[in-house]
Amino acid sequence: MASSILVIASRDLKRFWSYKFWLAGQVVMNVADIVIFGLLFNNMVNRSLIPDYIKFVTPGILSLALFISSFSIGREVGVELRREVTDYLLSLPVSRLELVLGRFVGGAFRGLIYQSGFLVLAMLLVGQPSPAAWLVIAYTSILLSLAMSGLSIALSTVTRDFNLQATIRSVVYYMLFFFSNIFYPTQVVSMRFGPLAPFVAYSPLSIATTLYRWGFGYLRDVDVVSNMLLLGVWTIVLLILSSVIYLRNLTRRG
Amino acid sequence: MFLFLAGVRLMEDRVVAVKVVNFTKRFGNFTAVNGLNLEIYDREIFGFLGPNGSGKTTTLLTIATVYKPTSGDIFVYGHSVTREDYEVRKLVGLAFQDPKALWVDKVQELLEWHARVVGFSRGEAKKVVREVLETLDLWEHRNKYFYQLSGGTRKKLELAKVLIQRPRLAILDEPTAQVDVPTKHKLWNIIKELRDQGSTVIIATNDMFEAEKVCERVGIIYKGRLVAVDTVSGLKDRIPKGDVIEIVIEGDGRKDKAIESLMDLGRVEYQGNTLRIYVEKGEEKALLAADILRSAGIKVKSIMVKEPTLDDVFMYFTGARLVEES
Repeated sequence: MASSILVIASRDLKRFWSYKFWLAGQVVMNVADIVIFGLLFNNMVNRSLIPDYIKFVTPGILSLALFISSFSIGREVGVELRREVTDYLLSLPVSRLELVLGRFVGGAFRGLIYQSGFLVLAMLLVGQPSPAAWLVIAYTSILLSLAMSGLSIALSTVTRDFNLQATIRSVVYYMLFFFSNIFYPTQVVSMRFGPLAPFVAYSPLSIATTLYRWGFGYLRDVDVVSNMLLLGVWTIVLLILSSVIYLRNLTRRG
Repeated sequence: MFLFLAGVRLMEDRVVAVKVVNFTKRFGNFTAVNGLNLEIYDREIFGFLGPNGSGKTTTLLTIATVYKPTSGDIFVYGHSVTREDYEVRKLVGLAFQDPKALWVDKVQELLEWHARVVGFSRGEAKKVVREVLETLDLWEHRNKYFYQLSGGTRKKLELAKVLIQRPRLAILDEPTAQVDVPTKHKLWNIIKELRDQGSTVIIATNDMFEAEKVCERVGIIYKGRLVAVDTVSGLKDRIPKGDVIEIVIEGDGRKDKAIESLMDLGRVEYQGNTLRIYVEKGEEKALLAADILRSAGIKVKSIMVKEPTLDDVFMYFTGARLVEES
């Protein structure tokens, strides 16, 4: 079973490198996020809230990089559905579970590989994680990449209408991206978002960012275990829901 | 035990490869296939002959477990497509009517990945893909993107997937559509080799020549119903009057009256300026038919007596011409 899942995943990973210009654009954007936001905001923000904006935003960019790259798989899954390439996948000698997990893992691999460069950057800019912190970072990256890959795949199969599909994915993408603590500290989120603040604080991207900030030593007072558990719950829920939605939509015509 | 007779292999003790039992498939209110019952035997080349939209592809995709039956069931070597779909997929290889790939896919990479999925190791995959690409004259296209391939090359790419897999049951949906004539002949030989090496082959086609040339038995499917199944010669024999007189006429004269008179000879079909009369002892009746037309003031341009074609067979069973329906 594991080898079938890895073979399925390898296809999505290989395709990822075919989008060279998209990848280059993403790398430039994520690096620019760190450099531009870091340099500009460092002297603009309240230093009692954020003493060093570069160190603050870099772990957030780790979440963002992982999210963008894992989420990219949905675009192809949507195209496959419209062009009925999914019929080919359904005819292959693999079980439906292997197919679904293979796609999720494929998206997760994209995220993990893409993020690895930014992990090195974070080590240089923020600090060296301890071995225990590396385990937390690895756990966070694996779970977040799987959850975002699954979510993206499920959303891309909700409709065959290209415009609607792109709109749904964009709305969810920006909701997750902006309603998170990637660019703003939790205290500010609580002040500005009012009743929505808990949704922001407990979104998977915010939880992951908090764990990365702890892992790289930017934050000290973090309930790591609770955050890890919460991220685990998010991942399990999203993967189960995504599996059901993906399979249902994949086999809907049949 | 096999008997070879006039190029058609007949089998006495036959293993059933595919058993279709009361299979019906609906998409919303549209019934694509209605109450299909059929047996396809091990190591035979079976053809589904019918026009576009007749239910061929729906049946094939259900055998391959891409679709599920609305009612009824299909068994592939004893495994139910509804209850043991994974077991069925292990036995089936499918070449789609419309090749399935994304523009970013390259020929060799696509096939090597396919080989890996169907169970080859990385090293074996490279070897078998090279062999198949060379067999299908695709080696020079190996580094091309899918979008750079012509329609015929894309069809060969689909067939390549099945040749890599060498499945117990090979399903080929219009495998030679968009392919030039010399390549068609080559692909037909490859399909026969596939059977000779142990695969059962099901072909969907609306090409009568392909059905005659390649298939041992043919099922005529029309508007979601299977109207006849037999060997090609068996189907022809089932036309009660074994000869077809084909007359091309010029001018109308008393055409209706003439056709009425011709009906005394046999069943008459009339299209444009061509008349077809299904008769026994065609040579004798042809002269008579020509006299009837002449006496009605209709000039006969040509007259020919021939054996019925599969198109005649299709016409006989469905009341429609395959060429026109396709």
